[in-house]
Amino acid sequence: MEISWEDRHHSVYSGEQLRWACPCAECRGEAGAPGRLSRVNKLSPEELRIQDVSLIGQYALQIAFQSGHATGLYTFSLLRGLCSCDECARTRPRKTIS
Amino acid sequence: MTVPSSEQVLAVLAHIQDPDLGRDVVSLGMIKELEVSPRGKVSFTFELTTPACPVRDRFKSQAQDLVGDIPGVSAVEVRMTANVRPAFMRPKPSEILPGVKQTIAVASGKGGVGKSTVAVNLAAALRKAGATVGLLDADIYGPSIPAMIGSRSVPEQVNGLLQPIDAHGLKVMSFGLIHPIEQPTIYRGPMVGKAIEAMMVQVDWGRLDYLVIDLPPGTGDASLTLAQAIPLTGVAIVCTPQDVATDIAVKALQMFRKLNVTPLGLIENMSWYVCSNCGHRHEIFSHGGAEAAAKRLGVPFLGAIPLEEGIREDADSGTPVVISRPDSAGAQAFVNIASQVAARTSIQSFRQLPVINVR
Repeated sequence: MEISWEDRHHSVYSGEQLRWACPCAECRGEAGAPGRLSRVNKLSPEELRIQDVSLIGQYALQIAFQSGHATGLYTFSLLRGLCSCDECARTRPRKTIS
Repeated sequence: MTVPSSEQVLAVLAHIQDPDLGRDVVSLGMIKELEVSPRGKVSFTFELTTPACPVRDRFKSQAQDLVGDIPGVSAVEVRMTANVRPAFMRPKPSEILPGVKQTIAVASGKGGVGKSTVAVNLAAALRKAGATVGLLDADIYGPSIPAMIGSRSVPEQVNGLLQPIDAHGLKVMSFGLIHPIEQPTIYRGPMVGKAIEAMMVQVDWGRLDYLVIDLPPGTGDASLTLAQAIPLTGVAIVCTPQDVATDIAVKALQMFRKLNVTPLGLIENMSWYVCSNCGHRHEIFSHGGAEAAAKRLGVPFLGAIPLEEGIREDADSGTPVVISRPDSAGAQAFVNIASQVAARTSIQSFRQLPVINVR
């Protein structure tokens, strides 16, 4: 998936990257309970392929994967933060993932 | 004397700057059907982005003066028209409100500050300016639009779609028109969302320049559903001057900001009251609270509306004050605010939104 931003910045995302970044409660966990993505370390190919993308108002994209998983609303600020271009990678504060 | 070329005329007109869009009117494509006759008569159409344009008259006289001063011009004819542009290019052809160009929400956070009165008069003022306007009452529990437009006609169904009713030249839909009067709507949150969605999807809104949406108080289901279902052009926030109202209005504004909906600005209602006996101006709910809040939050202040008996009377009797008493201070405040809102929505139609491609 590609996004050309209002400020003309361009971002390219793979289905795999987006699937692992899914912000939904099932994937991320809620109320202290860990989510699915922290419990598995492998996802099947149809879970990683994008089926459809729809706009939610004007603040987010709902991404549906071929597996049927579509509960994640990816806000534009989240997506911008996920941009993996060299420029963004350089300026992004380093996160340590435990 | 030789007559000027079209290029010369356009070069002169390019000196007119649109104050809201920050560009000249020629590059914005507002000058159309330009003709220069062999006798030196120049005529053209000046197409504004909204019929409620606050600088309409200024543009016209500027255009007349600038073109009239070109050597060789014997007469100038400026035809002022307006064509509201769609707010955003949507990624896919939309099933939801396909013919609606601009959607304007009116919200407040707090109840009882006059949201519905503002929404009705805003819609009526845009209609008076010449736009085609719809009014959607998104208050499911306490719909007050039917009373304020003086109509209880039951919407007809044609080809499976509800037809909005016509009132004062506005297309109107409200849950109050479908649901029996004096019977409460006892709904949990998700049902509220469904009802609002139905009023967008299952209603034949047709082609509209503006759809004004009167939101209920709160920052929950109704506002969230709306901000998710459609790309709103923007939201106008209504409050009274007192702190207790502006504090909540700020919450509503910040909610819409989080949802990436552009705040068109703040409106101060019940700003002052002129006593009919002594003529003294009272500021019952204080004054200037909304303007101060707008400044603090970096959003436009759209204007202040006085507390007038006439506004309340006309709301209760079902004719918006901008129609029934167009010369009153209240009506004029509404008309000015409508112009400001229209100008702010026009800015949105020139935004370049993110383009999404899936391969």
